[in-house]
Amino acid sequence: MPSSNPLPPKENSLFKRILRCYEHKQYKNGLKFAKQILSNPKYAEHGETLAMKGLTLNCLGRKEEAYEYVRRGLRNDLKSHVCWHVYGLLQRSDKKYDEAIKCYRNALKWEKDNIQILRDLSLLQVQMRDLEGYRDTRYHLFMLRPTQRVSWIGFAMAYHLLEDYETALNILETFRKTQVPSSGYDFEHSEFLLYQNMVIRESGAFEDALKHLQTNKDQIYDKVTSQETFGCLYLKLGMYEDAKNEFNKLLERNPENIDYYYKLHDAENLRTDQEKYEMICKYRTKFPRALMPRRMILNYVSGELFRSEIDDYMRRGFHKGIPPLFVDLKSLYKDKEKVKIIEDLLQSYLVALKTTGCFSLNRYIIIVLIFEIIFLAKEEKQPASAILWVYYYMAQHYDFLKNTPKALEFIDTAINHTPTLIELFIIKGQIYKHAGDVIEAYKWIDEAQALDTADRYINYKCAKYMLRANLLKEAEEICSKFTREGVSAMENLNEMQCIWFQTECALAYQRLEKWGEALKKCHEIDRHFSEIIEDQFDFHTYCMRKMTLRSYVGLLRLEDVLRSHPFYFRAAQCAIQVYLRLYDRPLSDIDTQQQLNTANMARICKKKKESKNDRVRLPDICTKSRYYCCYLDEDSFSRWSRCTRRPDLWCIALFACN
Amino acid sequence: MKRSKIELGDITPHNIKQLKRLNTVVFPVSYNEKFYKDVLEAGELAKLAYYNDIVVGAVCCRIDLEIGRRLYIMTLGCLYPYRRLGIGTMMVQHVLNYVEKDGNFDSIYLHVQLNNDGAIEFYKKFGFTIVETKEHYYKRIEPADAYVLEKTLKSATNNEGDSKNIKSSIVS
Repeated sequence: MPSSNPLPPKENSLFKRILRCYEHKQYKNGLKFAKQILSNPKYAEHGETLAMKGLTLNCLGRKEEAYEYVRRGLRNDLKSHVCWHVYGLLQRSDKKYDEAIKCYRNALKWEKDNIQILRDLSLLQVQMRDLEGYRDTRYHLFMLRPTQRVSWIGFAMAYHLLEDYETALNILETFRKTQVPSSGYDFEHSEFLLYQNMVIRESGAFEDALKHLQTNKDQIYDKVTSQETFGCLYLKLGMYEDAKNEFNKLLERNPENIDYYYKLHDAENLRTDQEKYEMICKYRTKFPRALMPRRMILNYVSGELFRSEIDDYMRRGFHKGIPPLFVDLKSLYKDKEKVKIIEDLLQSYLVALKTTGCFSLNRYIIIVLIFEIIFLAKEEKQPASAILWVYYYMAQHYDFLKNTPKALEFIDTAINHTPTLIELFIIKGQIYKHAGDVIEAYKWIDEAQALDTADRYINYKCAKYMLRANLLKEAEEICSKFTREGVSAMENLNEMQCIWFQTECALAYQRLEKWGEALKKCHEIDRHFSEIIEDQFDFHTYCMRKMTLRSYVGLLRLEDVLRSHPFYFRAAQCAIQVYLRLYDRPLSDIDTQQQLNTANMARICKKKKESKNDRVRLPDICTKSRYYCCYLDEDSFSRWSRCTRRPDLWCIALFACN
Repeated sequence: MKRSKIELGDITPHNIKQLKRLNTVVFPVSYNEKFYKDVLEAGELAKLAYYNDIVVGAVCCRIDLEIGRRLYIMTLGCLYPYRRLGIGTMMVQHVLNYVEKDGNFDSIYLHVQLNNDGAIEFYKKFGFTIVETKEHYYKRIEPADAYVLEKTLKSATNNEGDSKNIKSSIVS
């Protein structure tokens, strides 16, 4: 170890013990050994020891001292890679990745082949998406440790991320050849092969991908992925018979996967609804217990055929009592003719159930043909709950058609019929919500919530409806039924990154014109997104080690577009609106004073702090709204301009953005 | 198509409001907070009845030690659209099973409003008989008189300890 100030053997062994203590998280002991070296006046200013002392202090949470010691150590020994590495680690722990990269580079100047530093540097580079730098570092690591699996994978991955498929594939294939196929179950190798196949497919060489899959399929244990990949490759290469075969096998595994049916449409080159209907019918006979073919059929038929199909479908639903039946069928409401047929049927059910207890007035309707003899089968009496589910469905039906009085009429009939069914109160609340009455809406959801306080879904609904009615305190109280005990619900929900709740809070505060509070919530959400990006850090090593490479690449790609998530959009939109409002009409001291006066006396101290938040200065507004704007992509921009009714303010935002 | 499913379930602080709702609809009498507090402690003596996973009925009993050891059915009811489907029977059967398993009850009894023929017929099926008429039993409803229906579990002469063995045969 070239150091400008080498330690004699005794001190040197002490120093090594500091390193070991650090690795084993025995920070107290580490400090003890550091003190032993530093108490020797000859080495009181020994750079590397000082730096290590600082790093250890950092782990004990003594941040300021840590920086002081590490910097002092570095000053005393600018040529030590240890000092630079330590400084880098310190910066990294504070998420100052750019700074950390610089430190590592300095460290490598003095010790260019240090594996540990190179590894740490590569992690930061991929985290910061300095892909070229990452590639160089991975190359360096590869040259130093060509026998390690991770070296190969990391090296190839760097090229893959840079979309240099040829090099990536060369490395992967060379590596694969060195692997001796083990006889047993080797899941990691299986994952490696699937990753290799993914790279081949992304390079566009589908034939090679197919060949690769065929040669290696016995060593791949993720059978579903293997089969799905086979199927998709056959489709891409126009080998439709093979594709059909593959997706039929997959349907045997899982007949509920809608994508397999779509893929079969492609494989059979079906264009018209009639063809698709006929095909799905075959699968309905083949998988009589599967729900997906039954539901899909409804998409492809119309007229009288639709009437008989939906009749059967709805009867099953009402007989069994399937609460989400309406949600299931909602997508059919695009078609007015279908809506009319559904409505007719519903009305006929009601009449029949009231008089005969069956779905049809004439109970002898089911005709069974066996050996050309006609049998009349009597329709079984429906359970007493069937009519209730019809009422329930009709309420949602009319609510969807914006016929609020009729929707309320049916939901009230349902409630009179069975006043203990919780779902009814949820729908009643929903009808009021759709009609714009947030207060009445939340009251009914609250009623539903009270009927089963152990139901987390209703609890969430209730809190959301309360926030829509600007009842922030009540919502927090409701949520506290499910948050950790001992901490405030608000804190716990923030800790759990409960974004929907915080967004609704922000919007409620915005409506209440509590700008500071609203912004606080938006910033909390923004922080979650930053955290999600930071959390990625641990996966760089973990996924490489565990060989979950496909998921890892998926994660990297997700993180790249993380802030285009609708949750982020909503929060950013709220923040921008608030900032622009403050730009438009800055808060005067009187405003803040008024906010203070209306505030509860007990919370006055807290409020004071918040009112400071409210007084956002102008340059602040520009940078802040620019901050949010820059994450919104073009698509979001256009969505935003559509939903904002303040184009003038929007121009300012755009201006701030540029 | 599948038969309807009837089950009994526990009453907990989470779902007690369902019981309250049910009782206000089914019975003309309203019950106070004490009633519901006791119900939560009653264990197997208070149950909700589910029909296809919907709460449609409930039974609440308590042990009465005034004269001997008797089981008193405080409420047993089912929502109107779900009557005559075997839900009441299931609840009574549950109570009968309970007292049989316990083996130490003298009788089961309950009050029925004078004009409630349906209920009287229903309980007679299970071996209950009218043993008394209580005048002005109900305060706010008409008719205010009530029958006491009782089902004896031990024979009246059998007050000795060995009566336990005979009783179980009466129940089943």
